[in-house]
Amino acid sequence: QCIFQNTSSTVQKLFLRQTGEAEGQRGFLGFEVDSINSVQFSPIQGDGTGDFDPAPSYSHWRGQVLTADELHVLYEGIKLNNVHKYDYVLTGYTRDTSFLEMVVDIVQELKRANPNLVYVCDPVLGDHGSMNLYPVYKNKVVPVADIITPNQFEAELLTGKTITTEKDAVEVMDLLHAMGPDTVVITSSDLPSRLGDRFLVSLGSQRHVRPDGSRKTQRVRIDVPKVDAVFVGTGDLFAAMLLAWTHHYPKDLKMACDKTFSVMHHVIKRTIAYAHELAGPGRRPSPPQLELRMVQSKADIENPDVVMEATIIS
Amino acid sequence: MECRVLSIQSHVVRGYVGNKSATFPLQVLGFEVDSINSVQFSNHTGYTHWKGQVLTADELNVLYEGIKLNKVNRYDYILTGYSRDTSFLMTVVDIIQELKKANPSLVYVCDPVMGDQGAMYVPEYLLPVYRDNVVPLADILTPNQFEAELLTGRKITTEEDAVEVMDLLHKMGPETVVLTSTDLPSRRGDQFLVALGSQKIVKPDGTVTSQIICMDIPKVDAVFVGTGDLFAALLLAWTHHYPKDLKAACEKTVSVMHHVIKRTITYANEMAGPGKRPSPAQLELRMVQSKADIENPAIVVEAKVLQKYSH
Repeated sequence: QCIFQNTSSTVQKLFLRQTGEAEGQRGFLGFEVDSINSVQFSPIQGDGTGDFDPAPSYSHWRGQVLTADELHVLYEGIKLNNVHKYDYVLTGYTRDTSFLEMVVDIVQELKRANPNLVYVCDPVLGDHGSMNLYPVYKNKVVPVADIITPNQFEAELLTGKTITTEKDAVEVMDLLHAMGPDTVVITSSDLPSRLGDRFLVSLGSQRHVRPDGSRKTQRVRIDVPKVDAVFVGTGDLFAAMLLAWTHHYPKDLKMACDKTFSVMHHVIKRTIAYAHELAGPGRRPSPPQLELRMVQSKADIENPDVVMEATIIS
Repeated sequence: MECRVLSIQSHVVRGYVGNKSATFPLQVLGFEVDSINSVQFSNHTGYTHWKGQVLTADELNVLYEGIKLNKVNRYDYILTGYSRDTSFLMTVVDIIQELKKANPSLVYVCDPVMGDQGAMYVPEYLLPVYRDNVVPLADILTPNQFEAELLTGRKITTEEDAVEVMDLLHKMGPETVVLTSTDLPSRRGDQFLVALGSQKIVKPDGTVTSQIICMDIPKVDAVFVGTGDLFAALLLAWTHHYPKDLKAACEKTVSVMHHVIKRTITYANEMAGPGKRPSPAQLELRMVQSKADIENPAIVVEAKVLQKYSH
């Protein structure tokens, strides 16, 4: 299988904010990963831009960004060699509308080359949102996506509907299906969990067409233990893992989510334990200390113990 | 194991050269890998077409600045490979010197990529930069025969010559030198090429431990790209596990190479079809598929110890 991935690459790790993913991780699961790095930064950017994540970030960042033209040039190289057949495309964080539009063009062309291609899209708009990106996502990106992983805010922004109950969430996911993707996972929400306030609620919805032409939708809810820290890169890891596990369970969203959320749990747990060890008692870990313990989690990635189980709802 | 590697090499969107070749195996073996991509190309330059962008020396500096400012510039290893640009290479030298000041135990693994089979495939003016600035900083060096001859100004026609050249290279800096391939005749016949390695460690009390090995490696009838990068990364990993046993480190390294190459050539020939030469795209290393071999290689090549002493 081949994946074409738009990632932000950092010197510190191969992911930036909620973008990109260390190739090694999906490599562990047997996927061939071709990556286009949309930026190359040393540690992740600070909060000066007013973007999402009010938590402490690295105080300094430096680096270079790829322009839409440069992206096109790279894609051209692949096309000229006639090696542009991909099974999946994966994208994450982008700051630039023209870059995003170029990504859409590329995805459309790749889908023409392989109509079975699955586009996994994390529609990163953050919690405050980059308002100029949202119409591009809504009108151009999401319609060509097959799997999307918005958080609650992004799902509300894309559909224009607020989520205050589980019923709202189901309606929003249906609206998102109508826009394009057959698989939607709302990665986190403020909905109250029946397990109490140490948990947050994630939801998923997958639409299938039966052989007789009728539609069937499987919906799931996952109660995810909250962790008292802000991680960066977890959304990117989530999207990559969801890609891998929906590949193995294309018609069973519950299984795919059980595996995906379980991997996330193991990686995060290992990371927070290590971060606290490094920071010392009573001290808040710093961004370098909170970098995901990715390489150390190889065994969990390859063969995750299922510790989170999705509940089928309706 | 908490081991952090800074790897400054090329990135290709598709395929396995440079950082793509080095990162996956090192991560699989438990190393934290920070990579600076010196270029981003669609694919390696052996394909009919290639397109992309290069990082300038200034941009490299900028990235390093970011790491330094966050005070996260402590590395255990540095790994470098192919470069075409003197100012880029000199900036790399500056960075390495600084990183060695930050951590005096840092090990610099250097593949002095200049050419092969008697021909240079980088600009000639890179040779003095490697010879006078880069190699003196290196701790582990992985030249092929041609590169070793260029760096020392000595030709290799016998095993004796090779041992002398490796000794000259030790005097220039690196404690560990592996001649990754030579034209020396193998005692196993012409289906094999000869590789040699030498490790010369001078302890603070003045004692010298030395080990010289040689290996007969089966030749493969194909041109691979990225294998040198994979070799250097694997040698980094295995010398980390066997810091004073070059024989063990080389056996693991060369065995993994063998498994990856064998899997690759089989797949490439399958893809190309009977009687047809595989294309560069088909010959891309089967890296991901070789994970198990990378993690736990069956030893298929034995290194012969030519010389071993401690005095």
